[in-house]
Formats: sequence, structure tokens, C-alpha cells
Amino acid sequence: MPDPLAIEVAGVTVDFTGMRALDGVSLAVPTAGCFGIVGESGSGKSTLLRTILGLQGPTRGEVRIEGVLQPHRRDFRAQARLVQPIFQDPALSLSPRRRVGQSLDEVGEALGEPRDALRARLGGVFERLGLQMPVLDRYPHQISGGQARRVAIARALLFQPRVLIADEPTAGLDVSVQGDLLNLLQEIRAATGVTLLIVSHNLAVIRLIADRVAVMQGGHIVEEGDSRSVFDAPRSDYTRTLIASWPRGQPVEATG
Amino acid sequence: MRGFAGRIWRERGGRTGVLLVALVLFIALILPFATPDPNKIDVPARFLPPSLHHPLGTDNLGRDLLARVTVGTRSALWIACVVIALSMAGGLALGVIAALSGRLVDRLVTGFCDIVSAFPSYILVFSLVALYGAGLGKLVVAIALAFLPQFARITRSQALTLRHRPFIESARLMGLPATTIIRRHVLPNIVGPVIVLASMNIPSVITTEAAMSFIGLGVQPPQTSLGTLIRDGYVFLDQSWWPIIGAVAVLAIATLGCTLLGEALRDVVDPKLRREP
Repeated sequence: MPDPLAIEVAGVTVDFTGMRALDGVSLAVPTAGCFGIVGESGSGKSTLLRTILGLQGPTRGEVRIEGVLQPHRRDFRAQARLVQPIFQDPALSLSPRRRVGQSLDEVGEALGEPRDALRARLGGVFERLGLQMPVLDRYPHQISGGQARRVAIARALLFQPRVLIADEPTAGLDVSVQGDLLNLLQEIRAATGVTLLIVSHNLAVIRLIADRVAVMQGGHIVEEGDSRSVFDAPRSDYTRTLIASWPRGQPVEATG
Repeated sequence: MRGFAGRIWRERGGRTGVLLVALVLFIALILPFATPDPNKIDVPARFLPPSLHHPLGTDNLGRDLLARVTVGTRSALWIACVVIALSMAGGLALGVIAALSGRLVDRLVTGFCDIVSAFPSYILVFSLVALYGAGLGKLVVAIALAFLPQFARITRSQALTLRHRPFIESARLMGLPATTIIRRHVLPNIVGPVIVLASMNIPSVITTEAAMSFIGLGVQPPQTSLGTLIRDGYVFLDQSWWPIIGAVAVLAIATLGCTLLGEALRDVVDPKLRREP
């Protein structure tokens, strides 16, 4: 039976020189849902995400993935099958000097899976993401931003991870494409049962996709709860201000 | 690559550099097949001025100077290549280790580089040779050590900026071994500036080796280098000035050519490194 909590963060503090980026943050991400973290830039949401991924060591506090306490120096080899990231600019998460196919073949290398078996699985993933095989022979700068984003998602999915962590997945996209991408992520979640953890400054995105929400401000979590209750009946003043400052008439329903 | 070479060729400095380096390579690699034995002593024919038979004249023992210059050029180039290869390899290794292994190692490596480069390179090489004795092998290692910090520094700074690039972090999160990430993702993205640095350092290495051999701390007779040739000529300068002309000319051509080529290479590979006049 899977652990009821995909990710658990307990009392995590991260200090940078002369600055506290996270101040005793605790968070519980339930398995198989979609958890959204929202906050303005500088609120610490990216640092929290990097701490969960193990790219940033916490000054204090603990991170558990599927109930297992993570050491400060992570074993990324074991972690890769559990957690995969989708970075803010996916084109930059592909090596500029390697063809897309070479970058994807590295998944097989990391998993110890033969190239043919990996390519066979790749067909299914590409089909789901609407990618064409010729993309494999291109370099990242030769494909479109949307394709690069899908390639990065494909690479993450090839690991068949339990948790997908996406940093600003809709940054720099048109509103209509944003909707497509969010639908795609929801489809993936429904089909694979993966837990989604999405970080965004965009309230509309989080409201649309997340079933649980945490609101961050100044290195703290100021509010956490069901998406509906946070957005409809916010308890914290900051959340109220954030929702009030969100321009009316943004076509949330139109994209959903 | 045609566009790459073309861009070097289009600049006047780059073109001059290519031609001068080609001339030096010709002297070092092709000319020895056409010249007589550089060690054949013919004392009655000593201190001859240039003639058809001896295009650069003869030295104090009547040896053909053109032949000796070709051999000296070849060993100077050979030494420069070995030195640069050593300091580049050492600098790449130290720089990558410093950038990727955490603060303590970084401090140690940076401190080591600061200490080594606190000495002027001539003083450092001179002291090392004085400590451990003259000789080609020791000289090569000493010069390589003197030039290593520059390579370590540039590698470290390049690797530090790469370290947080998303494609490196993705590779880490994929669980690829550190050696694979360094070999496949880090090194290919930092070699450009390192190669530029190497090409710009070749002239300094050639002159350092010549200087050390000139004062008798480097290449030992009967081996020949540009430095020993200049010293041999210098000793008998009151009797004939021909013996130093060839070696000095090649030294000048080699350093000028390598500098021009290195600068052109730098402008093509990374225009940001250019110093504004």
C-alpha cells in the first residue's frame, strides 16, 4: 500500500547569506492528487521546490519522499524513479550540444534499461504528448518551445515517477496553450496516478489544476487547504489580498 | 567548421597569425628533411655568413645554423605543446573538482591557485628548477605548474556558472553518475574558452622555456632549443652575430603568430573575452 503522503516537508529552514529564504516550512503532499504552491516571486516557492528535489540542502528540517527520510546528500540514482522535475524553461533543461534523442536515451542509461526497450516505451509517451519521432534527430534549438516542453515532460515520464514536480509549467505560454498544457498534465495524472506538485505565481493556473493549495509569502506558508476553500473562503489576509489583486475577467473558465 | 575557420581567416590578424604559425610549423616539421645534420662539426667552416650552402651561416663549431634552428624550433614547439597539455589537463581537473565538490575543496584549490600565481611565472620556474635541478623533464613540469592556475580558474568559473543550469540539474536528478555528467555535459560546454586560453599561452610558454634554456636551466646540450641556440650565439657575439639571427627570428615569428592566432580564435569563440582598447 502506497504511503498516504507522497512528500512531507517538516520544519524546513533555508538560509542564504544574509537572507532567510524558507522559515520553518512544513507541508504534506498527499499521494495521487495535484498540489499547488502559489506565491509571488521571492516568496520562497522555488527554494522549497529545490529543497524537495534535493538541489538545495536545508539549513534545518527534513524532507520525506513516500515516507522515507531523505539525507542532505541525496542518492539521485534511487530518487530518479520516485521524483522527476519539469523545469520552468524546459528547452534549457536539454543539453544544447546533444540531439533530443540522445538526451532521451540517457533515461535508459540512468535506469539501466536497454535502448530498444526504452525506445519502445518512448513511442507510447510521444503519442500521448503529441510528439513526432523526427524530433529525436533535432537539437533543442531546432525545435519549438512547445515541443521542447513536451520533450522535457516525456523525459520525466519515461522514469515512470511517483511524483512530478513542475516549476511554473505555464510560464511564457499563451493562455490557450496554457490550458492545453494543464489539460495534458491532468490527463497524465489520471492515466498514471502520478502525484503532481505544481509551483506557480499564477492563481488561475493553480485554481484550475490543483485540488490542494499552499499559499506562500516571505518564506512561510500562510495558508494551506482544499483549493476550493482557499480560493472561496480564504482565512489569511495575504491570500485575500492576493486574490483581490488578481485581475477580474481573466478567462479562467474559458481555458478549463 | 568551415565558417569557423573562415571567420579567423577574414580578420587580418587571424590571417597573419595562421600564415606565421604555418611558417613555424614548416620550419619545425618539413624543413628538417632538407637540411644537413645539425650536429655535424666542421671547425674550419666556423662563423660563416649566410650562403647558398649554409642559408643562415654556421656557428662556432661550423655546424649548419638553419639545420640547428629547425631542430630548436621543433623542440620548442614540442615542449610548448607538452607544457600546455599538462597545465590544461591539470587545470581542467582542478577547476572542475573545485567547482563541483563543495566549499572546503573549492577553498583549497582556489588557495593553491592564488599561491602559485602570486609568484611571477619566471621567478616560480626559476625557483623550482633551482630546488629540483635543471633538465628538460623538470623544466616542463615547472612551467606547466606556473601556467596551471589560469586554466584552473577559467575552468572553475565556467563550471560554476554551468552548475545551476537546468540541463545539468536535470542530469543530476536523472541519477546519472557524476563522471558521466562531467564528461558529457560539463566539459564540452567549457572547452571553448579553455582552448582559447591554451592558444594564447603558447607564446609565453615558448619564451619562458627559451629564457630558462638561455640561462642554462632548461634544455641541456647536446639537445637544442631556441634558448640554447641564442645562448650559444650570444657567447660568441663579438666574433659573429649570425648565429643568433635565425633563432631570434623564429622566436619572434612563433610568439607573434601564436598570439595573433590566439586572439583571432578568442574573438571567434567568445567575443565577450575581448578587451576593449
